[in-house]
Amino acid sequence: MALNRPAVGGPEFVRIVAEARAKVERLEAAQWDFAAVPEVFARPQHADVMAKEAVHMFDGRTMTRVGRLVLGGTGAHFNLMGTFPADSTFRVATEYTSKVLGEVHQQVGRDAMSDLPAYDEIQQLYRRAEDIEFSNYGMFYSLRDLVQWLLVHDAGCFPSTLETIVRRFAQGNVVQNNMYSTNSPSDDPSNPSIMRSPGLMVQFPSKVVEWMEQPIYGGLVDETIKVEHLLTVMPTDVSHPYLPLVLESKVRILDQDYYLRTYGGTAPKEALRGPGVPEERPDTPSGA
Amino acid sequence: MALETVTESPDALGGAFEASSFDLHMRGSIPSCLEGSLVVATNRRHKSRSVYSRWHDSQTDLLRLDLTPGHPGSVRAHFLGTDPGWPHAPAAGSATYVSQPNHGLNCTADTLWATNLLFGAPLEVDLRTWRPRRVLRYLEPSDATPQVTTTSHFAWDLGQRHAYFHQSLLAREQAGAPASAVDLTLFRLDAHTGRERAWRIVPPPDDASLIGANFHSAFCFEEQGRSYVGLLRTGAVVQHVEAHGPSDGHPVLPMEASTIWVVEIDEHSDHLQATTLPGVREIGGFALSHLDVDASSRDGFVLYANYKQAAVGEDTHGLNVYGEPADQVPEHYSGMIIEPFNVGTVIRYRRAQGKWSISRFRRTYRPDRTSEGHSWLPINVQLDSTGRRLFCSFAGFRPRLLPRHVAQAYGDAVADVRQIRYVPPLLMRFDAETLQPDVDSHRRHLSYAEPVAFAVVPHPRGDDVVCTFSPEIGLRIYSGDDLSAMVGYGVAGELMTYRDTHFRPMPAHMVFVPR
Repeated sequence: MALNRPAVGGPEFVRIVAEARAKVERLEAAQWDFAAVPEVFARPQHADVMAKEAVHMFDGRTMTRVGRLVLGGTGAHFNLMGTFPADSTFRVATEYTSKVLGEVHQQVGRDAMSDLPAYDEIQQLYRRAEDIEFSNYGMFYSLRDLVQWLLVHDAGCFPSTLETIVRRFAQGNVVQNNMYSTNSPSDDPSNPSIMRSPGLMVQFPSKVVEWMEQPIYGGLVDETIKVEHLLTVMPTDVSHPYLPLVLESKVRILDQDYYLRTYGGTAPKEALRGPGVPEERPDTPSGA
Repeated sequence: MALETVTESPDALGGAFEASSFDLHMRGSIPSCLEGSLVVATNRRHKSRSVYSRWHDSQTDLLRLDLTPGHPGSVRAHFLGTDPGWPHAPAAGSATYVSQPNHGLNCTADTLWATNLLFGAPLEVDLRTWRPRRVLRYLEPSDATPQVTTTSHFAWDLGQRHAYFHQSLLAREQAGAPASAVDLTLFRLDAHTGRERAWRIVPPPDDASLIGANFHSAFCFEEQGRSYVGLLRTGAVVQHVEAHGPSDGHPVLPMEASTIWVVEIDEHSDHLQATTLPGVREIGGFALSHLDVDASSRDGFVLYANYKQAAVGEDTHGLNVYGEPADQVPEHYSGMIIEPFNVGTVIRYRRAQGKWSISRFRRTYRPDRTSEGHSWLPINVQLDSTGRRLFCSFAGFRPRLLPRHVAQAYGDAVADVRQIRYVPPLLMRFDAETLQPDVDSHRRHLSYAEPVAFAVVPHPRGDDVVCTFSPEIGLRIYSGDDLSAMVGYGVAGELMTYRDTHFRPMPAHMVFVPR
């Protein structure tokens, strides 16, 4: 999401935090109905993950995900949120991510990778993208903390998105949050800033392959270009829920042999709207 | 009536179905009352958006989840992919099929009868061995009547021994008229002996059209010592018995308002005269389809049922309501469930001592008042073990998937698509007496972003357990008292896909069978 107030200091910060807390308390008392605190609604947003290349490593006990994202948006300051099991380890790990992705590309063959349309599109976006850093990493363990943070940074939120996030908290996930900004802000959704994230890594215990949830539409692009590599120590017939299988091979990463299945293409975002239909806002029921 | 089912030894046709098993990864715990299996009818959707097929016709993967209570406990999944041509031969692209049971689930302790939502005949499956036994197709298709339609959700008598369901042939469309039902027949299946009895149904004089004479669900009740079966006349208009090719749209004949037919069971006659239940047609709702009923008084019934407000005989294809072609809508895949054209309705119909009354719940989705819930595309309806609380699921709405040609057929009844947005799926608890949301101050009465397939399972302590499931989201377990806090959660990547070509979308129904 775009952040309208990336930072503030001094006594004003204390006041803003107190005001945000008061709004959250009112919202909670109103059973999280935004009608009681309409200023919580986010303003129009145009910020999405446009593309990603990720590696999912599964050894029978642990899921390890690494990947890099292409982010797009209007405005100057943003935050990226993702959810994963509460017993996860999260790291910004650019060097490790680059090494793993580089090994996969090299062992599969760069020509073979370049033949994949989705990979080629991601590379084209990379070439246009500005390298950015993540900062002020944080974890949210409850809806109250999450909404307060969004209000302190004058981002606001949308009710239906929040309802989805609530379920993820309930199943034992945390929300991980990173701030980032661009040196070339845009105010034109048809020509947004394009940014390349640092490498990210998340690791959690699991006995099965677990895919990531579908991302929620952020007002910029309605699908994500993806290349996802599944690496398993045993042969598997697990497939990606939306992407076609485009490549199979074997690779060796950091002294471990893996079976590789690569999926590539585009996958839809969740909660898409019709063209010209505005974001959620006060007093607009859905239905006659 | 003489009856003959389509039966053949499964062993002779081993290639006609395929099985796979694997474990879920569980987090949290599985309560002791869940010692047993959850049964789900999943289906397949091609990952390629360019492949065209109807949602009724999607291939079936029946799923049995065996639960072992504990902390975290364990869940083992068993898929059974069934060929639509079984038991004759693996289907070779046939336009019609014997059984394509990708929707309804009717269970006893050892047997499942799985059904399509519109076409084909029930498939009987041995729950223990997880192998098909026979297909309950009693009517013989012909060139003029190439398909059968069967009630998806059977009625069970008060002793839970006899199941009742409707089956009829579908006559091919001709001269611009859509398909129509032929040989409307009510069947009774004895779950103990497997024996059947059949009666021809004579349509009510005030509801005699056989276009849309399909009955998605049925229920039993008694009155003054007599036994009755109620049939929800869904009214799905089948314009073509066989799938047409991909197109940008075609004229759609709108459905008529749904009704409920009632027949009195007469052991001494081969024909049963149906009558319509008063007050139902007057509601003017479309696609009356799912139900739960409390007929324990043996003097009438309290029926809970829902109107989908969706053209359930149609499928999602062509230009959408915004004029976008399907290949420009990223969430559009072939064989998708049809979206509703407006808000659905849940009704409570009470009949006792010769009197009747109806109450309704119909609610738009207000993003600024999410605690109030909504009634977009109601799917499941289930009473808890006390009969005092009702759980309902709603699939919500994805506006870009509503076809323009379908919306045009319903004119002013269609929601304003210039304003309308995505409506998230919802599970909500109601007060069964008032049919109002069972609101509490901690918002424990509802859960959004929830799979629509759910099962309410009685717990000896009284607080029923609610399980929801979809391949993508996994298995979620709640206390019925608190839908805000999950008790357990299970997931596995293998649930989501069939080989590398298909994914498994959100199924509609799930049932629990105790061990």
